[in-house]
This record gives sequence, structure tokens and C-alpha cells, in this order.
Amino acid sequence: MKYSELTLRYFETAAGAGMLTGSEVHRGAAGSRARGTWVQFDVQVAAGDIRAARFLAFGCPHTIAVSAWVVEHAAGPVAGGALPESVQELSERFEVPAEKRGRLLIIEDAWVGALNAALQR
Amino acid sequence: MNRPVYLDHAATTPIDPRVAAAMAQCLGMQGEFGNPASNHEFGHAAATLVEQARAQVAAGVGAAPREVIWTSGATEANNLAIFGIARHYREYGRHIVTARTEHKAVLDPCRELERHGWRVTYLAPDGGGVVHADQVAAALRPETVLVSIMQVNNEIGVIQDIAAIGAVCARHGGARLHVDAAQSAGKIAIDFAALGADLMSLSAHKVYGPKGVGALLLAQRGRGAGTQLTALQFGGGQERGLRAGTVPTHQVVGMGLAFALARAAAPEIERIASLRERLWQGLASLGGTLRNGDAVRSVPHILNVSFEGVEGESLLAALRGRLAVSTGSACSSALQEPSYVLRALGRDEVLSESSLRFGLGRFTSQGDIDAAVAAVTEAVLRLRRIAGA
Repeated sequence: MKYSELTLRYFETAAGAGMLTGSEVHRGAAGSRARGTWVQFDVQVAAGDIRAARFLAFGCPHTIAVSAWVVEHAAGPVAGGALPESVQELSERFEVPAEKRGRLLIIEDAWVGALNAALQR
Repeated sequence: MNRPVYLDHAATTPIDPRVAAAMAQCLGMQGEFGNPASNHEFGHAAATLVEQARAQVAAGVGAAPREVIWTSGATEANNLAIFGIARHYREYGRHIVTARTEHKAVLDPCRELERHGWRVTYLAPDGGGVVHADQVAAALRPETVLVSIMQVNNEIGVIQDIAAIGAVCARHGGARLHVDAAQSAGKIAIDFAALGADLMSLSAHKVYGPKGVGALLLAQRGRGAGTQLTALQFGGGQERGLRAGTVPTHQVVGMGLAFALARAAAPEIERIASLRERLWQGLASLGGTLRNGDAVRSVPHILNVSFEGVEGESLLAALRGRLAVSTGSACSSALQEPSYVLRALGRDEVLSESSLRFGLGRFTSQGDIDAAVAAVTEAVLRLRRIAGA
């Protein structure tokens, strides 16, 4: 499969891969390794703002690349409760094939799960 | 720019320079470019080369030259064998026995026959990928006209006991045995006459010959003396009417020499087996690595390994630019599907997808193996870290 230059760049660097620790860290996860795609986000929240984010991802290059992009662009208020861009916009930005767009919904579920955990605190 | 290390020789091999030179001699005005069916000096010279190549291929697999039918490759040979037998013997029965782990060039023709009312039994291999002769015996019915079992599996390299299966078919009497030998010819010793096979498919490009040419062996001696085929294409009567079309002299000359060189290069098998062991030891040190297929009953040039904790598509993408191998998944549009061969062995979907097939070859060096181990190690560790595995 061919990937866009942006997808390859974020897949190869995956700069935000990892986990956060501390009382201000909230976690959300979605998907299943056994079914081929699993994503986890950790967000560090202070005064209602996301100060840092990390991800773990078991999945295809698009899954890893988009997850990496999301944590890079995560800074901002938690209250929005959504991805930095919509699934449709991310799909176009990373040229995700239509057959794989369901994987972006897993990313969205994991992200929203992390933000909801922060909001419920 | 450095090219990636090529460890995909089970997919195809580069043409041996000696083969390329021999082929080139058949192309130009000063060479033997004539139509081998033509009745003049140019045609006669080309026909001589074609028959010399036929003898070389036959000698490489223990067959007689008259048993060789040229085709465009192993896929066409498989189709000619399966449909040719089915059409000729359909009045005797409409049942075929094959295995779940066969190449698509066998499975798809069988499925096509099913759409036309044929019954096909797909045997399940054991956990090592071996199809046992007693399984074949149990599957045979009075109306079975064909058994098709590959000699070496293209994904896991496991060698089947064709002689034992041939004996089972001989006892049955009516079931012809077809063997897809695309991955075994030139890699292990083959004695077509002794195996008890009635038909055997061969490919040139797996043994440093050109793409676009292969052969079907049709036994003309022993039990197979009476095996008949119905031709699938018409127009010229070449190859005793079984495969019409101008014989491509340069292609068959290339295949003939490739098979002759493979016989002469038999000692390289030990070297390749040693390299494969070095590769396996290097990969096994990673941990979470599972070797697919029976390690004892396998050809020396194929190693198939699943890697725990990584996703297959990402693993292949992470190796871009460094290593050319095949993944255990097949592309179906944008989605990857787990290898049906590994699934048949009992591997789960994730492990089936996260496998790599390494195909070693004549030009593979120890440096290539060490570079491959380094590239896979780095990719797997990185992906496991990203996955939190």
C-alpha cells in the first residue's frame, strides 16, 4: 500500500508515543488488539486545558500517524470534547482509504474517552 | 541510493546473468529468433533450441522431454491441469481433493469448478502445515478424478510427502495426482517418475529464469501413461495440441538453462540453509517470535515468522527502504486480510497478519541476513513500544 508523505512522516516519527503519569492525567482507550486496532490516549489537564498528551497504538500506519498527529495538536480546552479535527477532515488530511476510515472512529472514541474522564473528575 | 535487502526470492528471483545472455541470443536478427514451427533454417534452428530446453527442464525434475508442455507459467500450468483433467474425465466423476493451503492458482480453479457443479474436498493440514497421505486416502471417493497437492508451500516452505500421496492415488486407480512444484523445482531434488504424480506444474522465474514461462509435466509412462487432458486454448496445435500458441524461444531457452544451472548449483542449498538458520536465530533472540510451519520438513530458502505485539501492515511499512519481504497478509483493496495459509495452521488473525516470509536466494549473503535481522529487530521493538506491548 502507498501512503501519503504526511502519513509516513507521522508514522515514522510517532513523536507522541508513550504514557503520562500523575494525578492530572486521564486515560481513554478503544478498539481491540485481537481485532487489529487498539488506541489509548493519556491527557494531562490543568485548569481545564490540555497541557500534554501521549498515545499508544496497535494498528496500521494510518492509525499510528493520525494518533501521533492528534496528540501533537491536542493543546487547548477540554470542554470542546472532540478531536482537533473531525474524522472526515483527518481522513482527508492523511488520505485514509475509505475502507479504513472505521479506524479513525476508534481513535475518536479513545480520545473522547480520555476527555470525558477529565471532565468527570 | 542503496536498495533494500531483497529477501523475497519465494515471490520471484532475478534472472541469472547467464540465462539473460542465452535469452538475448534468441532475440535479434543474428540470433535464433525464428518461429520454431517454421519450416526453414530459422525455424529449424529455433526448434532445436526449444527441444534442447525441453530436455534441460525434463532432466532437472526426472521427467522425459516428451512429458514437458510449455505454458506461460505455473498459474497457467495449474489451470491447464485442473480444467484439462476436469473436462476430460467429467464423465467418470466430478470430485477433486486438494488442500486449504494450496496456492490461489489451484484454489481458484477449484472454486470455479464448484460453480459448475463439481465437488471439492479441501483438506486441513496439521499445525505444521503437513497434509498427510491418510487424509487424502480418507477423502477419496469413487468419483474422484483429481488430487492436487503442492510439493512445497509458497508461504511456509513445508514439503509434502508427494510419494506417499502418489501411492494412495495409485491404489485408488481413478484419481490423477497433480503437483504444483513452483516452489520446489530447483530447490529440492525431484524425480517426477518416482513420485507417482501424473501432472506437475513448473515455473521459471522462481529459479533465476524469466517470468512468463513455465511448464506442465504430463506423465507419459508408468501409471500415468494413460493420462489425458482436454486443451483449453486452440489455434495452431503446438505442444501436441495441448497448448496452442507460438512457443517463445527466448523464454523457454531461459527456462531450460535456469533449470540446468539449478542442478549444477545444488551445493548452494547447504549454504542457504545455513543462512536461514542464522536468520532464524537472530529473529528468535527478539522474543515473541513464532516460526510458522514444520521446521524439519521445510525447504531451505523459506522462513516464515510471526511477531507478537506488532500489527502486520505497520511492520511491513516500518521495513520500507531497508528490507523487501512478503507479509503474511494479502491486500484486498486497502484492507489487509490475514494469510489463509497461516489461518489454516491454526494461527489467530493477528499473528497471521503479523508474519513475514523471508525468501533467501542464490545471491543472498551473510551481510544481507545480518542487515535483515537488524532492520526487523529495530522495527519490531519500535512498534511494540508504540503499542505499549
